[in-house]
Amino acid sequence: MATTDRELAELTHHKAPHKLDLFKGVKKLPLEEYFTSGHRTCQGCESALVMKLMVKAAGPRTIVLGSTGCMYVANTTYYSTSWVVPWMHTQLGSSGAAALGAAAALKALMRKGKFKDEPINVIAFCGDGGGADMGISGISATLTHPDYNCLILMYDNESYANTDIQLSGSTPYGAHTTFSPPGKTKRIMHHRWKKNFAAMMAAGHPTCKYVATVCMSYPVHAMNAVRKGLSIGGPTFIHSLDPCPKGWDYDPMLSHELGELAVLTGTWPLYEVENGVVKLIGKTRDIADGRVKRLPVRDYLLKQGRFAHFTDDDIDYFQSKVDEMWNKWVVPGVIPFQKHLDEDRPPA
Amino acid sequence: MGRLYAVEIVYRGIFQKNLAKNISRAIVLAAHKEGKPGISFGRYGDSPERNGIPAKAFAIVATDEQTLEEGMAKYEPTQVDVSICVDDTLFKGVESWAWYGLQPINKLVKPGGTLIVTSLEEPAALAEMAHRKEAPYQLAVIKAQPSFSGLWVYKDDHTDVRILGAIARVCPELFSLASVQEVIRKDTKDELKATSALRSFERVTTYEVQPTQGNPEEPYKFEMPKWHEMRDGIAIPSIAPGHKMKDPITGTEGGFQPARNPTFKKYATRTMRPVVDFDKCIKCTLCWLACPDSCFDVTPENLYDANLEACCGCGVCEAVCPEPNCVTMVNETHFSDNSSQWQAYRKDAEGYKANLASLIATRPERSHGFRFRGQYEEQVPAIIQAAEAEQQKQTQA
Repeated sequence: MATTDRELAELTHHKAPHKLDLFKGVKKLPLEEYFTSGHRTCQGCESALVMKLMVKAAGPRTIVLGSTGCMYVANTTYYSTSWVVPWMHTQLGSSGAAALGAAAALKALMRKGKFKDEPINVIAFCGDGGGADMGISGISATLTHPDYNCLILMYDNESYANTDIQLSGSTPYGAHTTFSPPGKTKRIMHHRWKKNFAAMMAAGHPTCKYVATVCMSYPVHAMNAVRKGLSIGGPTFIHSLDPCPKGWDYDPMLSHELGELAVLTGTWPLYEVENGVVKLIGKTRDIADGRVKRLPVRDYLLKQGRFAHFTDDDIDYFQSKVDEMWNKWVVPGVIPFQKHLDEDRPPA
Repeated sequence: MGRLYAVEIVYRGIFQKNLAKNISRAIVLAAHKEGKPGISFGRYGDSPERNGIPAKAFAIVATDEQTLEEGMAKYEPTQVDVSICVDDTLFKGVESWAWYGLQPINKLVKPGGTLIVTSLEEPAALAEMAHRKEAPYQLAVIKAQPSFSGLWVYKDDHTDVRILGAIARVCPELFSLASVQEVIRKDTKDELKATSALRSFERVTTYEVQPTQGNPEEPYKFEMPKWHEMRDGIAIPSIAPGHKMKDPITGTEGGFQPARNPTFKKYATRTMRPVVDFDKCIKCTLCWLACPDSCFDVTPENLYDANLEACCGCGVCEAVCPEPNCVTMVNETHFSDNSSQWQAYRKDAEGYKANLASLIATRPERSHGFRFRGQYEEQVPAIIQAAEAEQQKQTQA
């Protein structure tokens, strides 16, 4: 079938995204919920909070696609659901493909007049296993397509939490998981450092207009990040750190506090890359500018059972790696290139 | 044809997973010492477990291999000789995440069977909390604070061995105290634990629960979808948008109450509930915003009312609330209903406040897992001491 230049131009025509104003504070947030109660998540599940605030920010005209993980299994179990907006399951590694496909389908249906031409948000979420491990190629491919408006959100609880805590590419150094139980002779069974995933997506996809890291302990920033990601145009990516009472082994009451500690210890820097410009956010910016002193990682690690086997040496090593992020990286907390190479040997 | 013994352990997902595993494993090993083969397993339908959502483990033992095989052909026993409940708040009923509806805690206990529970409550109060059962059964109470810990760090407060000692007492045909002590010694190399089992064996008292005792309510259940009603593509209707709330006194409309998943409630997931002092509320929105379960209804005057159908009792609201004593988590055993706190407050503010003050004053400590390294080591000696004192008081009386 011959395609004229005009038709081709129409096919790839960049559809202007709609404008979403940013929220000015907690008291200005909408009361409506689009992800509601009655899901089978753990007590104090921060990932469920990500779902709730993500769609609260996006509003009712939103399609959500979810790849396999806790937020699929626990939220749509046994023929019941907590979603108010349309939601569809997609396979473990395919959140990128699903986001792009849904955005392309909506565009085509609207072009053909089968759907009313109106702004509809497309959000695909994945866990760290479905995103940073299995979904990386699909997400990467999607972020190179500037013609389709969609948001990919990775909720990162630092393990395959749904299947009872196997380690993923996002699991931090030394953490206790089903795959890395500390033993009597060998204490540290996981020697790999967590993937720097958001920055990888930002640095590797120069045409992607928006990448951000968020944490639900700072909800207004997180919700505004979702709104920016949906309104800036083209595919965008958000990486959220979610304290997980099951896998991190802590009293569910501490979920909010641990998210704050991840930011305040500098372990989880909050930043956004908007049209190629890096901006540190909130407390992370205060730390970088020296207005707030970075807390020792010990305060964060020893509140979690998964690090209970750490010796002082292990904590020091963890601290040195976090210090490195802040003192040696070209862009502190974001881009892990260094001017000089140092010896890097973990304790035995 | 030999004799088949079934034991179930009802526990809080993740919080008590290791505890339940230790108990069911030791039951099988102790019976094996007396020549009875057996098997212990967690219920597949409860996996993957979630913090707080009730789950079950089973130990099936028989006098010979053939009987065991026959018993195991049924995946889940329909009747058990001994049922073990390691958290007393489960007495209100069990809504597992794989079921549609609530099941009474004593459902599987066979007539004349025993239900063992760890609790600080009195047996009569516990019997009233559970649903009514047609046939009488025994209640055996082990005086202890329910033991909660996490997936990785185990709170070794002797709850497991105390329960094992109690089983040897209430069901001596299953295994003797000597056999289970032998298993404990071999497994833990800790003589103190074998002694704990003995103490529990000596001191456990049983209480006969009559068919007239207990909660007369019919446990709620939901209609299962029929195969011919299912839509193409496994599509299900989404939840409706919510609606405004209405003040019970003035009739003013406002605020927002979300619609909720009609087929899964959080009543049975909760071990504590938030009680709100509405007069202290500064309307900062943080409890409402930080609640992962969207359990807070927003009232017309912008107060936040924890809807108890949706609250799973995580305590995040108490943790984020900036006002002291505005949101307080109170042990679930203190309540017999799930009605709206805000409505009660609107109808009788003074009465509500008086009740609130007494609830906060009498709440017993509850522990929900790991807060800092070294916490269990600090807690355990005190727990063991308190339990010893409590048991001694009981035997003297």
